[in-house]
This record gives sequence, C-alpha cells and structure tokens, in this order.
Amino acid sequence: MTALFARWVHLASSVLLVGGATMLLLAGPSDRPTARRWEAWIVRAGRLLIALALLTAVIAVAGQTAVLEGRAGAWLDGAAMIRMLLHTQAGAVWLVRAGLLLVLGAFLAGRMNLADRTDWRAARGEGALLGLSALGLIAAAGHAAAVEPDTAAAIAIDVIHLVAAGVWVGGLPALALLLGLASREDGADARPYAVLATRRFSTLALALVVVLAVSGVWNTWAQVGSVPGLLGTLHGRLLLAKLAIFAVLLALAAGSRRLIPALSGEAVAIGRPAMRRLGRLVTAEAVLAALVLGLVAVMSVTPPARHTVPVWPLSIRLSFGALEATPELRSTVLVGSQVAILGMVALLASMTLRRLRLPLLAGGVVVLVAGIGIALPPLVTDAYPTTYRRSDVPYQAASIAGGKALFAEHCVACHGSRGGGDGPAASALNTRPADLRAHHVALHTAGDLFWWIGHGLRTMPAFGDRLSPDERWDLVNFLRALSAGDAASLLGPAVAPEQLWIVAPDFTFAVGPTPARSLKEYRGRKSVLLVLYTLPASGARLSELAERYALLSTLGLEIIAVSTDAEPDALRRLGDARIFYPIVTDGARDILDTYRLFSPAPHAEFLIDRQGYLRAIAAGGGTAMRDTDLLVADLQRLNAEKAAPPPAEHVH
Amino acid sequence: MRVWKVVLLMNLALALGLGVGWLWWGRQARRLAEDLEAARVAAVPVGEREFKSTGIVRAGMTDLGLLVITHGDIPGYMPPMTMGFRTASPAILASVKPGDAVRFTLRGTPPNLAITAIEKTAP
Repeated sequence: MTALFARWVHLASSVLLVGGATMLLLAGPSDRPTARRWEAWIVRAGRLLIALALLTAVIAVAGQTAVLEGRAGAWLDGAAMIRMLLHTQAGAVWLVRAGLLLVLGAFLAGRMNLADRTDWRAARGEGALLGLSALGLIAAAGHAAAVEPDTAAAIAIDVIHLVAAGVWVGGLPALALLLGLASREDGADARPYAVLATRRFSTLALALVVVLAVSGVWNTWAQVGSVPGLLGTLHGRLLLAKLAIFAVLLALAAGSRRLIPALSGEAVAIGRPAMRRLGRLVTAEAVLAALVLGLVAVMSVTPPARHTVPVWPLSIRLSFGALEATPELRSTVLVGSQVAILGMVALLASMTLRRLRLPLLAGGVVVLVAGIGIALPPLVTDAYPTTYRRSDVPYQAASIAGGKALFAEHCVACHGSRGGGDGPAASALNTRPADLRAHHVALHTAGDLFWWIGHGLRTMPAFGDRLSPDERWDLVNFLRALSAGDAASLLGPAVAPEQLWIVAPDFTFAVGPTPARSLKEYRGRKSVLLVLYTLPASGARLSELAERYALLSTLGLEIIAVSTDAEPDALRRLGDARIFYPIVTDGARDILDTYRLFSPAPHAEFLIDRQGYLRAIAAGGGTAMRDTDLLVADLQRLNAEKAAPPPAEHVH
Repeated sequence: MRVWKVVLLMNLALALGLGVGWLWWGRQARRLAEDLEAARVAAVPVGEREFKSTGIVRAGMTDLGLLVITHGDIPGYMPPMTMGFRTASPAILASVKPGDAVRFTLRGTPPNLAITAIEKTAP
C-alpha cells in the first residue's frame, strides 16, 4: 500500500514537473512582475517536486524489490535492492531516471542570469527536456516492456502516451496558478500574458488529447486486447474507470475552451470574472487528473488483462456464433447494423452542419438506438463467469484420454458412447441430451462447456462436486477432440489447399530410454506422419516407409509409428525389419485414445503440417495404403505453403 | 559563459554518456558470451575417451559391423538419437538382437568410436 501510494506520488510529481516546465516554455519569457513571480513559483515547486520524486522513487523501488524477491522482508534489505537496481531492466530504468532527476535538480538549484531570451529558452528548454526524458522512460520499465512481439513499438507508443499526458495534465495546475495570480487585484500586469499562455495551452491540449486517444487505443489493444479482458479483469475495469474520469475531464476541458473568447475582453471587468471561472475549471480538471494518475499507478502494478483469466460479469454476451444456429436472422443483423451506421452518420453531420444541428442530433440518436436495437438481440448468447476462461489443461492426448475415461464413467448414460445424445438413459428424459458431436459445440467457448459440466444445464445434473476442475477441463478437451474427430471425416488422404484447420492434439512419447518428446517440439521445424499400425498387416507399409525414410526426412518429415496394441515391446516384435524412425514405446495408450477419435481403422496415417494442423488422414487395413510418391507430392505442397498462424495452446 | 552554451555542452555530455554506457553494456554482454563459449571449448579434453549410455537395439548390420541403437543422452558427446555404431568385435554384434534394451560402452577418439562392451538390461 505504501509502495502504491509512493508510485502515485512519484508519477504525479514527475508529471507536474514536466507540465510546469512545458507550461513555462509555452508562456514564454516576460518582464511583468506577476509573470516573474509565477515563474519563480514554478521553479521553486520544481525543486520540491524533484526531492519528492526521488524520495518516493526509493520507496517504490523498495516495494518492487519486495515483490521481485517474493518476501516482504526484502523491503529494507539493501543488498536485495542493489541486486534489483543493477540486474533488472526495471532497476536500470529507475537508475537512469533518478540520474536525470538529479541532474535536473542540480540545474534548477544553480543561479543563472536569464536576462537574454536565448538563455531563458535554453535553460527552460533544458528543464523540460530532462523532465520529459525522466517521465517518458517510465514506459521502458512498465507493462509495455513486456509486450511480445514489437516490444520497441509498444515502448515508443507508451512513451508518447506518457509524455502527452504529462504535458497536458501536468500543465493544468501551472495554468491554474497563473490564472489565479493574474485574476487577483494586483495581477493586472500579467493578464495579457495569462491570456496568451491559455490560448497556446488550449491549442496544444487539443492536439495532445488526440495523441492520447490514439496511443491509448493502441495501448489498450496491446494490454487488454478483448472485451472480456476489459469487463472481466481488474486491469480492464481500472481502465474503464480511468476512461470514465477521462470523459468528465474532457467535458470540463471543452467547457474551459468555450470560456477562452471571454478572456480577451479589453476591459478588465469583462476579463477578470471569466479568468477566475476558468481558473476554477482548470483546478477541477487538475483534481480529476490526479485521480487518473492514481488509477494509472494502480494499473502499473496490476497484471495486464491480456495475461489474466477474465471472469465474465454478465449473464449474456454478443457472439456471431449465435447466427450459425439461426441463419435466417442474419439479414436482420445486417439491416440493423446499416441503420445504426446511418444514425452515426447523422450524428457526425450534426457536428459539422450548424443549421440543422438539433434535428440531426435527435434523429441520429433515435436511428442509432433503433439500429442497435434491431442488430444486437439475435447476437445475444448466454454467458457464464467462466465463459472466457482459458483452459488450465492444455489440449493434449493425456488430458483427452483422461477425459475419455471420465466421459465413459459419467456421461455415456445420457449422451451415448460417441456423444450423439442417444445413451441408454436418454429416452427416459423429457429433453433430449445434447448431441455433442454437432459442430455447434465449437460455437460455445470452452469456458461455457466447463461451466455446464460444473453447474449443470436444464435437465443435466451438475458435476462440480464430483469432478475436480482439472477433470472438467479434461472432459472439455475430450469434447473438443470428439467434435474435431467428427469434422476430420471430411479430410481426405491427400492434402487439399484450402481446408478445415483441425488442430492435431499434442502428445508426448518416448522410444526406449530416450527422454520423452512431444509433437509440439516439431512445430515450425518438421511435418509429422503419425502412423497407427497393426501387425502383421501393416508390416509391408512400415518397411516401405523405412526404405523411403531418407528422402522423406530430407523433405522435412518425421514419422512416428504407434502400435495399436500399445505393447511396450513393439520394437522387438518388428524384428529385423530395419525400421529406424521412432516406434513409440511409451505414451502409446494416450495417443491411441485420442487419435482413434479421428480414425478407428486398424492402420491409419495422419499427416500433420509443421504448424501443428492435421491435413490428411489415410486409413485402411494396412496393405492397400496410398502410394509413397503421393506422400512426397503432399510434402512438397506443404513445404511450398505459406505458414498459417500456429494453433492456440488451449481450447478457446 | 552564456547559459545556452552551458546547456548545449550539458546535453552533449549527457548524450555521450548515455551512448558510451549503451556501447559498454553491449560489449560487456558480448564478452560474457565469448568467455562462456571459450570455457565450453576448453572444457572438452582431447585424446582417447570412454562414454557409457543405455539404449534399445534397432538392428544389427552384420555385413557392415554396425549396431543401430536408439540411445539416451551420452553425456559430453551426443544428444539422444537413433544411429549406427561400429562394434569392436563380431561377438558384440551377435550378442544382442533388435528390441533388446542394452547398456553399452563406447571407446575411442571422438568421432572415431566403437562399442567395446554391451550388456542386456532387464526389459
């Protein structure tokens, strides 16, 4: 908590430092006594802020050390703190930033003769430059530095975001101070100066808000990335809160902008009340900005939404998958979306056309709401807290085999042995159990299935108290494999260019004393031909593959053969056949449990491309298998293909 | 001296300092990598050596005097793989058959090695 507070104060003082310095630059040098007084104030505040920033930096570093070392005691452990500073990127960034702040402090402490305009600009510019560097570098130690790939771009965008926010938000208190001083009885001499400064700041702020919005959207994409991340994680909700405050801030800023013309009244009587009101508005903006900075400090120590498991807070969600079940509603959605776009066009027009503003605005809102009302209802699907939860258990043969056993124990009675919803107990039920093979299973998220298994659905009982979460994920993985196996019946024995992307479930295997390897290790390097064989019928085919093994290897293929009886002495029973590709002796059972879902034939060959997708299935008795020359042609086709993105690790 | 000149010099010094620091960091990292590589090379002794490992016999090629073995890690020499090894005598070749789990000894000057002893382990 202390460390968090320290972070907030540190961020706020860094921002204020930058804002004060840039505000001075914007206003420019002046010989009016009140303007001089303001400048002296800002410089004095700057010294104080540097001291505050350095002090809170030490506390924040101590807090971060305790987090990194994983023990609360590391808080006051000097050696641990030095380790953190010298050996982590975050530590190096803290050091460089503290160095910059020290240089800035020394610079501000020095007495300089700034009578000349060039000297004044150089000195104040140096202050702004050092402050901006110290602020912008925060990005190199934040969440942006952990974005993969494009780390450099993420840091650059975050630097821009920080600097823009610093100049705008940090400039507000400095501006409020100037307005306050100038609207006093004795501040009349600086009023034209204050008006000029306000005008310049206002123009700059408008540009900065655009920069903030664009870089903010980019940051949101990089750190949150999805609606579930925004609504279902702490980081996302903090961001929403930040946006809400930001919206109020923008409204205040817009109000302030409208006051600016009233400032330039020549008569003091017109200018002064407006200036005072503007000063109050700007102060309010600064207070809100401080709140935003607090949220930013909390967000900087909250894991980014992209790396957190979202808990969906609503009981519905929007999904185009819902349309697959009811294609007739597709046109409704299309019409609704067009109506909504029309409404948006009207809204945009109302901003530019001054004469028709009110009717256009009202009409636009009505049409937009109507369009949304037409388009969204067909897309609404039930949702659960776990809907967007990623599986804890990877989509692997061991998990699928476990799921298969659980399915046989708990689910077969109603859902049937192949998941068709035709089990022996099904006829006694009022509602027919779901057909788990149907591809609509793919339309529900893994998290939906996980929730139903745990909590039940209509007549289906809840298994949450009987099955552990991992066992439920095993079942979800099995259901996915079952559904994929059903879809795989469309795969032919030869590779087709545009086909279903069926992920080959990962598996681990070992040959004799070699350490276990997994299918995933071949990803990006080799295609794999998984051969499920039955002796003696498959003997000739295995020998043929062995003879061509050198050529097939050159074409980037590995052959992995699994005996369908899963006996550990598979190698001995092949005898002196001189087959040197891997013959699985460990892990065969799980592989069979999984890949039998894709083809139950006694001899089956699965061609898996180097991205890990299942591309062709050849099945038969073992004797009349497809020609190896065709396999060679398939491999050449796969090698010529552009790589598809690799499949996700987990069921989604 | 004029303040703007001081500022200019200060910025030059800062940029130089940062640049030199950056370069020094890069050199340090590269030197570390080179040292590590040198230490790794120096750690491998020359001359006749002996390795022991376990494996499973895939085939005996009597005509070539080779034994093809899928073996586990051979520490300091070779990762796990399936390959043919020369045998020091035909008796060694004859003593095992495909499918046997074995423990074997390799002797020679790498990469010129031969199996000098082999024994079956319990399956």
